[in-house]
Amino acid sequence: MKLPARLRLSPALAPYALLLPFFVLFAVFGLFPLLFSLWLAFQAWEPTDGLAAMRWVGLENFAFALQDEWFWKSLKNTAWLAVASGVPQHLVAIPLAVFIHTRLQRLRDVAVGAYFLPYITSTVAISILFASLFSTDFGAINAVLGGLFGIDAIDWLGRPEHIKPAIAAVVFWRYVGFNVVLYLAALQTIPKDLYEAATMDGASRWQQFVHITLPGLKPVMFFGVTLSVIGGLQLFEEPFILTGGRGGSDQAGMTTAMYLYRMAFDFNDFGAASAMSWLLFALVVGLTWATHRAFRPKAGQA
Amino acid sequence: MQLGAATATRGPAVPPRTPDAMPQTPHAPTPRRRALLLGAAAALALPGPARATAPVRLTVAAYPAVDTIVREALPAWRERHPGVAVQVVSRQFADHHTAMTTALSTRSHLPDLMALEVGYVGRFAQGGGLDDLRQPPYDIGRIADRWVPYALAQATGRGGAIVAAPSDIGPGTLLVRHDLLTRAGLAEAELTRSWDGYVAAGRQIQARTGAYLLAHARDIKNLLIRTGIQPGEGLYFGAGHEVLVESPRFVRAFELAREVRRHRLDARVAEWSNEWSEGFKRGRLATQLTGAWLAGHLSNWIAPDTRGLWRALPLPEGAQAAWGGSFFAIPRGAPAGHKRLAWELIGLLTLDRAQQLQAFRRHDAFPALRESHDDPFFEEPIPFLGGQPARALWRDAARRISAVAVHKQDAFAGEVIDTELDKVLDRGKPIAVALADAARLLARRARR
Amino acid sequence: MTATSTTLPTLGRPLAPWAAYALVGAGALLMLAPFWLMFVFATQSRTEIFSLPPPLWFGNDLLANLAILTERIPFWRNLGWSLYVALMSTALTLLFCSMGGYAFACFEFRFKQPLFAFVLATMLLPSFMNMIPTFMIMDALGWIDQPRALYIPGAASAFGIFLMRQFVLSTVPRELIEAARMDGCSELGIYWRIVLPLLKPALGTLGLITFIASWNNFIGPLIVMRSPENYTLPLALRSLQSPVDTEWGALMTGSAIATLPLLVLFALSSRQLIAGLTAGAVK
Repeated sequence: MKLPARLRLSPALAPYALLLPFFVLFAVFGLFPLLFSLWLAFQAWEPTDGLAAMRWVGLENFAFALQDEWFWKSLKNTAWLAVASGVPQHLVAIPLAVFIHTRLQRLRDVAVGAYFLPYITSTVAISILFASLFSTDFGAINAVLGGLFGIDAIDWLGRPEHIKPAIAAVVFWRYVGFNVVLYLAALQTIPKDLYEAATMDGASRWQQFVHITLPGLKPVMFFGVTLSVIGGLQLFEEPFILTGGRGGSDQAGMTTAMYLYRMAFDFNDFGAASAMSWLLFALVVGLTWATHRAFRPKAGQA
Repeated sequence: MQLGAATATRGPAVPPRTPDAMPQTPHAPTPRRRALLLGAAAALALPGPARATAPVRLTVAAYPAVDTIVREALPAWRERHPGVAVQVVSRQFADHHTAMTTALSTRSHLPDLMALEVGYVGRFAQGGGLDDLRQPPYDIGRIADRWVPYALAQATGRGGAIVAAPSDIGPGTLLVRHDLLTRAGLAEAELTRSWDGYVAAGRQIQARTGAYLLAHARDIKNLLIRTGIQPGEGLYFGAGHEVLVESPRFVRAFELAREVRRHRLDARVAEWSNEWSEGFKRGRLATQLTGAWLAGHLSNWIAPDTRGLWRALPLPEGAQAAWGGSFFAIPRGAPAGHKRLAWELIGLLTLDRAQQLQAFRRHDAFPALRESHDDPFFEEPIPFLGGQPARALWRDAARRISAVAVHKQDAFAGEVIDTELDKVLDRGKPIAVALADAARLLARRARR
Repeated sequence: MTATSTTLPTLGRPLAPWAAYALVGAGALLMLAPFWLMFVFATQSRTEIFSLPPPLWFGNDLLANLAILTERIPFWRNLGWSLYVALMSTALTLLFCSMGGYAFACFEFRFKQPLFAFVLATMLLPSFMNMIPTFMIMDALGWIDQPRALYIPGAASAFGIFLMRQFVLSTVPRELIEAARMDGCSELGIYWRIVLPLLKPALGTLGLITFIASWNNFIGPLIVMRSPENYTLPLALRSLQSPVDTEWGALMTGSAIATLPLLVLFALSSRQLIAGLTAGAVK
């Protein structure tokens, strides 16, 4: 379908045309909630009173948030969980993807499928399944630990020091497969002739991994790590369902996102919740920018 | 006095805050725009017959099992109002209250009738979103004494507005394993005479049968902080937002909980966890302080094989508490033409003896309607409880419960206290320090 | 030469590859164990699910659970809605995000950097904070209780545009586009006929992820849906949860059935994915 030249998009206008549908939707469904939430951060509001009941309080919500013990507690929890669940995901996903890519030609689908399945489980199922698995006296996890390693039954969901590893384990379980798929797809795009040439030049497998594979994975790694950082800082579902929405003993499993949710819907303090969400936002922006700097492409690459 | 049926995976019970000077809500933008459009349309339309011929459909928003209770009342409804269809919209417990909060906040897409659980009704009462049922055409003041008094008090908001009608209540009781008591050589009265006696009995049960007295030490704390509340006081906060957590009832509650833990009388299991239900099945939990409805659940699916081994007792030392309870409210923003019918539906659900008893029989929904309390059903022996006619006991308990003032930060306060109690029990934190820390945290938020 | 065994499967070390296979296999079993439990629980009654030790083999209550499930909620209808919404969501998201990702990756234009940063920024706010404003918008548009409220907004997925941009950056050579331009191909033609086919693997991945996210999403439907017949599965299944009286068996059965379409989709698309990947890798 060749349009006459004067009706065609010029390369200068093309990007705007391509982005138009996205930004129209975004303006309507993304921008308004954003602005509303920003506005709300400066108000005191009891939601069941209706919209007109908002009361301007300036920076009071932010001041409250920054002095709130629980807010800082939640930030510490979030940081711990983000690192403990995020780092292993990538450390495991990359070698695993390489292994599947190079060694498991026939079983590739099966292997990828097995690791990816947790990603598709719904939260309802996860809450029941893991409540059973983490059960203190007869959960399968304690059974394995006791049988194989002789460890006494651990109260995973009841003690503050144990709930964090439990949540990190569930997050890892859920998302490592996602990263495997991501890296696997990226590995496919690294041209085979690079490896052939390197082998002919006498490079070892490890050297090839470091100098061909890793750089080739860089854009996707940036993507994956950014997602993990963002996802980790916004961790909500897994802690929520494992602690029954409360955060667990001593709020050890309460991430900042969960605390926000509780402020809004359990303690009915939407103003403070909005203020905290913007503080969290600032934090996430900062860390994402740092990730971007760390992965900054060298000159010449995209 | 309310102890929400707070469990691991259920929505937490959150009582509301104290009155604040909030303005009444004028129209939100959307209703105004809609009203303009409707007005324009009406002006343009030909004058026709009034809405009498248009079929009315009521929407009821509820959560399990209240949704089933409403559906089961529909045949009776259809007899009285054959032309009025009723649609019941069910959501998960917490989802439902979230959806209701959202709808009330925007005054849009509100149901005609809203079911509310006791943990939320107080909070919703403090907001201005529900109709005050004292006003015409409801005039709930005339019939207020037909319900158990404390239930109606729970639905009373600022300025005395009654925003919901009570449907079922949850009188507290002490469920005990009679066989374990016998093996331990104890009489029932020894458990109920005093709290110290209860704990001492627990030691004997532990020594002679190996069973735990209760699921978790915080259960005893939860009950004890509810004793000795002065009129006008709330559970954690006083009438003037002062923090009450360093008062003697808290100290005593913490001390007794620590005593229970020191003698290892609690199984340290969370409610509704697998260990908890298994504890019932295997006879490792000798007692449970709970709402009366738990007996039904134990019988139906938690521990059906322990039939006949349980008895229901009054709470120790004459304490009274309520666990759970449902209400029905009419949102202010609901369509005006439906409100009278919605009120009639509420009447059917909460004032009709037959409906209240039906819900009781089928769902263990203890009736809030006093005139249903003389039904022979209350005197019937309950096989699960070894033939004990416990419903009469619970009925009497319900009459003695008194309501406690609610504060917006009650839910938060409950968690802070639970956290401090854990530190006292698990790490040996001194009680005075723990309560002082809690008071400090609560003082910062008391006025939000 | 020290290396992880995954990158050094030499013949001189028979132990290393063995260990790798065993490790990967054990990992796969760990991943699958909860699934197994889910399907086992789907066939058990709630008394058995809540007992300890929990059942590890199938029970006899599947039909009973199914009966409870279909009696309490319009399960099959909800399944249908989930399917419809997920398909529409996937189609729209793939279209809009591939267009946008291509634009960000291959063009230079004013405000490119700030716009992209802005888009990314929206990923950073928790979605439940949007509940009330989203409700207001949907109400104003008249979209309450309509499926379009579920799939249209999500098509502006910041995640999707981000993913697409990264894949375009790493797979689509600029020279190809320039050559096509010089050949007289229209801009939209370049997008449709040259870039899009090269993006097949990424489309497969994003499509799968979008479908799954839409399928499991319950906050969106919670905000927008008013009639139980219009619920999608997560909301419908959650409505079975009572504070004290949940039919856990039926809930697990419903969850297990809800997982099946995703399993099928994954099985299908991974094959597509591989085919697309192989085709794309051969230059």
